[in-house]
Amino acid sequence: MNIAPRYLGRGSWLARRDPRTIILVVALVGITVIQIWDIRVVLVLLTGSFLWYRSARIPFHMVRRQWVFVSIFVSFIVLWNTILTGGEIGGFAQDELHILFLLPVLGTPISAEALSYGATQYARFFTFATLGFTMAYAIAPADLGVSFARLRVPEKFAYAIDMTFRFIPSLATDLQSTMDAQRVRGHEWDRGKGGPIAKLRRTVPLVVPLTMNTILNAEDTIDAMDLRAFGTGRRTWLRELIYDRTDKLILLGVVAMLVTFTALGFAGITSKLWVFPALLDLAAA
Amino acid sequence: MSTANMARTGLWEVNSRTIVYAAIGAALYGVLGFIINIVIPGSNNVSVRPAYALVPFFGIAFGPIVGLFTGLVGNAILDQLSGYGAFTAWNWSIANGLAGLVAGLLAASMTERLSNPTNRIIGAAVIAAIATLIGFLFVFTDIWVFGNSFEAALTGSYGFVIVPNLIAAVIITPILAAAWEPLKESIGR
Repeated sequence: MNIAPRYLGRGSWLARRDPRTIILVVALVGITVIQIWDIRVVLVLLTGSFLWYRSARIPFHMVRRQWVFVSIFVSFIVLWNTILTGGEIGGFAQDELHILFLLPVLGTPISAEALSYGATQYARFFTFATLGFTMAYAIAPADLGVSFARLRVPEKFAYAIDMTFRFIPSLATDLQSTMDAQRVRGHEWDRGKGGPIAKLRRTVPLVVPLTMNTILNAEDTIDAMDLRAFGTGRRTWLRELIYDRTDKLILLGVVAMLVTFTALGFAGITSKLWVFPALLDLAAA
Repeated sequence: MSTANMARTGLWEVNSRTIVYAAIGAALYGVLGFIINIVIPGSNNVSVRPAYALVPFFGIAFGPIVGLFTGLVGNAILDQLSGYGAFTAWNWSIANGLAGLVAGLLAASMTERLSNPTNRIIGAAVIAAIATLIGFLFVFTDIWVFGNSFEAALTGSYGFVIVPNLIAAVIITPILAAAWEPLKESIGR
């Protein structure tokens, strides 16, 4: 069983960036997008995010399943949102809405505003997802701990993140051994009769021994750390991270974008829903 | 076991023990969550993740910091392993972390009541349920982050996550607590 974050962007332009740049771009653009409800601006950010994603050269066939899941999930959320709100949109009184048609069976009124809102939600979700994929595939897993440490995350917390990634492959091997051992005894968690609760109960012979063994084995790691006086002084990291000129320019641009759109949002320019004029015309016709 | 007899340190102290338990909690949550999930038939891909039970368990057994880290980083790692990126659903990771934190705080505040093994096991189920209900209130931030309505956040986010997580927590957390009791004694915790 091989479980490890897949470093699919290895060698690409994006993967050559300082990993802190990738993390900060995800965070800063994410904060920017949250503030914007003008789909024209969100689409510009989505395009930028997509170009950023393309620079990681992630083979599509390796992430097709993830894109399909994201598409289904986003569609579900947007549709669910529209149906549950009965076509109501925050910031718009019911009599201000431009009704286009009623949903069959449910009778939910679908307005120009509701469609614009749904489209903007789609664009916002896909911007988050596109950026998220770069973080998942374009940062070497071993660099995550040191990146967070260099981003001034408390060093013990950063060290714990680093250690978490180091535990993953050995835990995956232990899980496989536990599964094999239980299978030899005739226990297969994913086969047999019963509903979800019965299946859940069948996972107990895997989850409990794996967890208890891992906790007991952790004592050795704790002893080793204590014997090396862990936590008594400031920790250093072997991996050096340096922002190059491109990283600095990217971060400058992203910070400028965040500041600009925050100001525009407070001024009420980009924080209000933009409704497609064509839909308004259609409703008026 | 040079550290096995160390006195239990303060609730918020971060030492080598806290770090290692937090790291294994998060790694276990990531690995088990990635491999084992049970899709509820007829639902829109809603699945019960037995691994979620680790979040309140680590909070109860090792304190609020470990619980917070297990939920927060474990969920982010799970998203990272699944390929969606650690920060894509950052508010859901915080919700997981809060569940672990609340479990740790509740367990610490109920030390007297949980003095005998039977109470500790029943208490684990109760604490896991309460921590899940409270911690996941944070997914209501979907209203702000993704622009969902309150109704959609209640049914599509909170309801969507709370039912399977409650099932996993109430069934598996007490079993983990029961298994941990004799081991805890044997290593002098």
